[in-house]
Amino acid sequence: MLHLKHLGYNSWETIYYQRATVIVSELVLLYALYLFVKSSPTTSKIQSHAAATSILLSPGLLIIDHIHFQYNGFLYGILILSVVLARSKSRILASGILFAALLCLKHIYLYLAPAYFVYLLRAYCLGPRSIYDIKFLNCVKLGLGLGVVFALAFGPFVYYGQIPQVLSRLFPFSRGLCHAYWAPNVWAMYSFTDRILIMVAPYLRLPLDTAAVTSVTRGLVGDTSFAVLPNITPRATFFLTLAAQIPALIKLFLTPTWHTFVSTLTLCGYASFLFGWHVHEKAILLVIIPFSLLALKDRRYLGAFRPLAVAGHVSLFPLLFTAMEFPVKVVYTIFWLVVMMLVFDRVVPASEKPRVFLLDRFSLLYIAVAIPLIAYCSLVHQMVFGVKYEFLPLMFTSSYSAIGVVGSWVGFLVVFFTE
Amino acid sequence: MAPPSSHRPRKKRKADVSGSSSNGTVIHDSGSKKEQPAFPLVAFFWPARGTSTSQWILLPCILMVVGLFRWCTGIWPYSGFHKPPMHGDFEAQRHWMELTTNLPLTHWHFHDLEWWGLDYPPLTAYHSWLLGKVGSLINPDWFALYLSRGLDSLDLKVFMRATVMVSEYFVYIPAVVICVRRLTRMHNINSWESSIALTAILMQPATLLIDHGHFQYNTVMLGFVVATISSILAGRRLWSCVFFVCALGFKQMALFYAPAVAAYLAGACIYPRIDPLRLLGMAIVTIASFALLYVPLLLGTAFDTYRNVPLPSHAIMPPLLSAIPFDINEKAWYYPYLIQLMQSIHRIFPFARGLFEDKVANIWCAVHSSGVHKLNQYSSTLLSRVALALTLAAIAPPCAIIFLKPRRKLMPLALTTTAWGFFLCSYQVHEKNVLLPLLPMTLLLATDGGMKPATRAWVGYANLLGCWTMFPLLARDELRVPYVVLTLLWAYLIGLPPCNFDLYLTSGSDNTLHWSSKVLHLATYAAMLVWHGVELFVAPPASKPDLWVVANVCIGAAGLGTCYLWCLWRLVDDSGILVDLGLAKPTDADVEKKKL
Repeated sequence: MLHLKHLGYNSWETIYYQRATVIVSELVLLYALYLFVKSSPTTSKIQSHAAATSILLSPGLLIIDHIHFQYNGFLYGILILSVVLARSKSRILASGILFAALLCLKHIYLYLAPAYFVYLLRAYCLGPRSIYDIKFLNCVKLGLGLGVVFALAFGPFVYYGQIPQVLSRLFPFSRGLCHAYWAPNVWAMYSFTDRILIMVAPYLRLPLDTAAVTSVTRGLVGDTSFAVLPNITPRATFFLTLAAQIPALIKLFLTPTWHTFVSTLTLCGYASFLFGWHVHEKAILLVIIPFSLLALKDRRYLGAFRPLAVAGHVSLFPLLFTAMEFPVKVVYTIFWLVVMMLVFDRVVPASEKPRVFLLDRFSLLYIAVAIPLIAYCSLVHQMVFGVKYEFLPLMFTSSYSAIGVVGSWVGFLVVFFTE
Repeated sequence: MAPPSSHRPRKKRKADVSGSSSNGTVIHDSGSKKEQPAFPLVAFFWPARGTSTSQWILLPCILMVVGLFRWCTGIWPYSGFHKPPMHGDFEAQRHWMELTTNLPLTHWHFHDLEWWGLDYPPLTAYHSWLLGKVGSLINPDWFALYLSRGLDSLDLKVFMRATVMVSEYFVYIPAVVICVRRLTRMHNINSWESSIALTAILMQPATLLIDHGHFQYNTVMLGFVVATISSILAGRRLWSCVFFVCALGFKQMALFYAPAVAAYLAGACIYPRIDPLRLLGMAIVTIASFALLYVPLLLGTAFDTYRNVPLPSHAIMPPLLSAIPFDINEKAWYYPYLIQLMQSIHRIFPFARGLFEDKVANIWCAVHSSGVHKLNQYSSTLLSRVALALTLAAIAPPCAIIFLKPRRKLMPLALTTTAWGFFLCSYQVHEKNVLLPLLPMTLLLATDGGMKPATRAWVGYANLLGCWTMFPLLARDELRVPYVVLTLLWAYLIGLPPCNFDLYLTSGSDNTLHWSSKVLHLATYAAMLVWHGVELFVAPPASKPDLWVVANVCIGAAGLGTCYLWCLWRLVDDSGILVDLGLAKPTDADVEKKKL
């Protein structure tokens, strides 16, 4: 079973075993959520409980882990554990080291590292009153801890001289801007605009890169090139991501509370998901899960969370494409959305500040559009066009979801910076 | 499947009494004055207590959840998956779709009987035809004549599983939803508790495993039976006749219920006053429904006679034909119709088959295979007569009671007891037939006190035991994992062993479960667990390869036998017949009723 040459080995026993490991490793998530509820103040126990339940039952984890197959439950368990540890001042060191270990398990969490870096720097390495009050002992402890973790993880590879190979596997800049299915981010909207411009270009007399017209990723892995709009380089995505993260990081540096920290984590997740290079749609959990911990703070947060919950989960649908899985993903996601949104709505406290009127209407309208969209993408399209224009439902799904994610990002930014 | 709304104006519903527990779902802790859910299923519904959550949200959520469990069960293999030469029930159902869509109607009951010949009543044939037509639109290869035999591609499986789901959501689920609503309203149970009972009934592991795992369409027949019960509860006797004919017309197994339904309807014509018109009405409706059921078959025969389509060359005339006392002219115009009817009946009632099929937890199989008394030394005629006599003896008491006391509230119990009688004593029983007594028995959860310990313990016991007796069948179909998951899930939700022992260890004023029941239940649960351990780890002796199955059958037959006795006792007790006979003192409740 573990023999390297046995690729595509899939006896029943193997499936049982691997599925069971996912379920067992998810106990880490359960424990982390338990600690989260336990460590929350009594006034927000119910809200924490609801948030924890929503994460545990998340359709995202069901679709990605238990049907598609990955170990996200375990990894996000460690992330939440680390976030919960950061809640008390005495455990910040443990939180940082745990996060380092998480980085060694899956490097996607590197996107969240800036928030950790700023938080650890401000709250642990520098004194609470002044930034010139450097706590050298804490710095040494943290440095040692991180050093040990990374040494343990990468030591064997260094020893065998495999580091360049490891790095090239970890950071695939040779791959395209967009992944096989377009993750619902800015680049999905960008490509969508480009596709439309291709059709409009002759009328507007825009220069058209004819080579790109035929090669634009129609839902295929490969180099993305745009016909009308300028092409995007990895460097551009990097700077955009950083630029989107910096305002939140500055705020975190100025007010290093746990709450700002979790908000910043969420915003880092947003920034990297929206502007990152070769983002996979599974990365949406990087936003949803930290945000879930905050969503019940008050009504304004929930207002920003709602479109994200819908868009994020709808964007995962193309991951599962067999007819047998179709009812499971759709019915479960709808069930989760109905129950969780009702519960959230009931337990969330009112906001002290006035809500933004337009945002509420926007999210309601947005959620309503999801129903015809799912119906079209999964049923109507196939009936009308058969296998033709296969990229069309994918494009609609990802553009729709991109609007939701960007909308909720803007909403959250408003809430965060007016706090 | 709701009968069209009657001319009676709808009564306005009284406000729900959500605070008080009427049905055993809430435990009042006298110490802390706090209310607690009595079992985990209630805890899941706890946030929906009171009137704040609308039924319009609760019901779709319930249906989504039970649907998910059904579909996920369907992902597992089905009976006969990759098992040539004969495959299994899946192939049988697929084959019927193949033959009904491709052959002239006169051939349906004659075509190659060796390969899963059609042996269900006409409604199943029409149902197969419809599904086969729809399926052929999607992919004609699935039902190509001869070529599609034994086909088990993945997309065919998805289609077939979907047909079970759709049939169930069209017939069974609406019927159960309406029936539970009627039952609970009749017993003054609030809608919150009604939703809990509904979920418990729809999550019955046995039905899920057989229909969505093993692959059959039992829920269609069971749905019609529930619709019958529901119509009886609503006092619409004519509709109940129609629905019951539909149930019989879909699967002859509905005969398990027939004596009780007939006894109730007959009783309703005599008590409180003799009403021959009512009897006449019901007789006409029943006969008309049967006629309607056979009209397509006869029309098809007329069409084939007109086209001069001969019967298949290998067709053997139904033996019933020779049993007809008068001479039949083969040239007569009615001859082809007679053949079709006789053949249909001959196929539906296989008198030529054995006393029991495979290993089933009923009296005959237990007696025979345990070695107490070998039954194959007797002729099958004798055996069938003895079986008939014993069955009559078993169903006579419940039928007599429901005839003498034709009260609507007694219907679920009377049906359960009769079905248990059939299951335990009659001829040609399958292990899957345990679904029939389990359904009305589980409906008891929606009656007064249905979720209090005494009833809940017995209903749960029968369900878990019934599932367990089907384990050998499910294990053959590679359905061990769904069996474990669904039965344990149900046991957990309803608060039963091996997940929860509160029913047996606590003794509150609410807990009227007799100590002898407790001992019996705990002993059986222990035996079931031990049996699973032994079956998993110890190979049976080479000389007796079926030893574990036989043990399963014997324990199962004994346990299900006590379920029959309990149901009979409840029926006797609830009907108040003992009070009438002077054998028991009237309780306060009875006195209250008399006064009213």
